[in-house]
Amino acid sequence: MRPVARSAIAAGLVLLVSQSGAAEEADQGAQLASTCASCHRLDGGGTIIPSIIGLGEERLTNALLAYRASQSPNHIMHAIALSLNDEEIASVARYVAAQGK
Amino acid sequence: MKSWTRREFGRLTGAALLTALNQPKARGQAKARVVVIGGGIGGATVAKYLAATATAIEVTLVEPRQSYATCFFSNLYLAGLRPFESLSHGYEALAKQYGITVIHESAAAIHPAVKTVALNNGSKLSYDRLVVAPGIAFRDRALNGYDEAAMEIMPHAWNAGQQTRLLRQQLESMEDGGLFVLVAPPNPFRCPPAPYERASLVASYFQRRKPKAKILILDAKDSFNAQDLFQDAWNRHYPGMIEWLPAQFTGGVTAIDAKTRSVITEGATFKAAVANVIPAQMAGRLAQQAGLANQSGWCPVDPVTFESALQPGVHLVGDAIIGWDMPKSAFCANSQAKACAFAIAADLTGSARFPAHLFNTCYTYLAPDDAFSNAISFKPVDGKLKSVISFISKVEESSEVRRQAARAAEGWYDAFTHDVFG
Ligand SMILES: Cc1cc2nc3c(=O)[nH]c(=O)nc-3n(C[C@H](O)[C@H](O)[C@H](O)COP(=O)(O)OP(=O)(O)OC[C@H]3O[C@@H](n4cnc5c(N)ncnc54)[C@H](O)[C@@H]3O)c2cc1C
Ligand code: HEC
Repeated sequence: MRPVARSAIAAGLVLLVSQSGAAEEADQGAQLASTCASCHRLDGGGTIIPSIIGLGEERLTNALLAYRASQSPNHIMHAIALSLNDEEIASVARYVAAQGK
Repeated sequence: MKSWTRREFGRLTGAALLTALNQPKARGQAKARVVVIGGGIGGATVAKYLAATATAIEVTLVEPRQSYATCFFSNLYLAGLRPFESLSHGYEALAKQYGITVIHESAAAIHPAVKTVALNNGSKLSYDRLVVAPGIAFRDRALNGYDEAAMEIMPHAWNAGQQTRLLRQQLESMEDGGLFVLVAPPNPFRCPPAPYERASLVASYFQRRKPKAKILILDAKDSFNAQDLFQDAWNRHYPGMIEWLPAQFTGGVTAIDAKTRSVITEGATFKAAVANVIPAQMAGRLAQQAGLANQSGWCPVDPVTFESALQPGVHLVGDAIIGWDMPKSAFCANSQAKACAFAIAADLTGSARFPAHLFNTCYTYLAPDDAFSNAISFKPVDGKLKSVISFISKVEESSEVRRQAARAAEGWYDAFTHDVFG
């Protein structure tokens, strides 16, 4: 590896560790929640597709886990939830739940 | 009218909506500049997400039109089921709420070596990063006789606007018993199910208003997207009304004669009462002129950052790119745009990088109360965007399930256009 590339990576690591874990998780949650916004309005409005604002972290987590487990009742939410690992479900649920407060 | 600063915006909307990311690199530095060319689905989404979450970046959006009309749901307009105005979206929220500088001009040229964009009015914009999202153009000489003048007689209606209105007028004034010919393009093209959704919804209009009319689809292909779902629906809803002729039967459409409103294939000439000619496509003109497209006519990009493989510092999203498994849809353009915005923010401001989640869902109408949907998620694999999870509605679904999908589509339209245009 060229020295320039190595020092760039090192600088990147310093930046990452200088952020707190909570801020990092919030950023991951924000980026994941942006994908939900293609179908769920994050301002709490919207029609027909249910709002996910104001549901609370536990209910969001449980809903995503249930959608991940089964194609029924909805193959769209099944595909979305299947693309998320446990850590991602936790951070998106926490982030979205915080938007309702 | 008052224009909002970004800080006021944050205060007004409170925690709702989008929050700024941590941007460690940006502290104490001059603001980085991103210029986005094209305020369609891909470009408007990149601009909005950069402005809202990478507050240390100054965002300029270049788009000639004052308002954008969506292609999605334009087939409902053609069938008389939605007013044209309901398809239109302005740029006021992007400018006033998100602090994006919106310039209503066309970009004339890009100069990547000096990082500037020349606009049609003669002015120049400098950038640190450029995003190009020009949508599609039609291939030159793809069909003999199909020039700009012919488009005014036999519209394509493949960019929503005046062309879509023209096709609607023609369908409305057509006599009962007339023949509507739809020429479907070769792959790859904007929105694979859309020509067949158009045939379905025009059939629903004919059934209500001109029950003796017929629809003929002359295809450049031998099969098409979700063919089983469409053909099942055509038999159930419109028996005998829609005929589909694959290229292997006709030899393909070779020419258009606008004077007689005829479509000419290798073996026969079809005279239409109304004709909708959708030609072969490529990335938008600006991408061709700027050397962003390869010999395929489409733009190669990095599947993680959407940076051009041909011009460093320039990113592309939407229909113009080589998307591998990702179809040319508004949903994909929006999904790529978010990944691209977060990648640019990480480069310029040091915000954290996470694996992107790329997705496509299309709600497709077979009749006003019968729609199907698909859901596909994509991942970068070996330098390409591959579909990793994929579901689509089934032929044997109950009419209640289909009715619900047709309703859900309306909810999607509302949320989606809100996501793009604020
Ligand atoms: C009939 C039909 C139905 C469809 N239905 C669906 C659907 O149900 N779901 C779905 O997901 N997708 C659907 N689509 C596809 C969808 O419309 C496109 O995939 C989407 O618009 C692509 O976004 P884009 O940003 O790449 O291009 P566009 O949205 O076309 O935006 C390109 C923008 O760039 C601007 N531009 C071009 N050149 C320049 C320049 N030189 N300078 C400045 N600006 C420029 C244009 O004015 C335009 O506003 C449908 C398409 C059609 C035709
Ligand atoms: C392609 C559109 C689409 C996307 C993207 C999407 N959803 Fe959904 N979501 C739906 C639909 C449609 C439903 C209703 C499903 C049903 O009938 O059960 C739904 C339902 C839900 C529900 C259940 C709500 C309730 O009150 O029961 C939750 C929770 C949810 N989604 C969370 C999310 C999260 C979190 C994301 C982003 C990671 C997301 N969704 C992304 C379309 C989408």
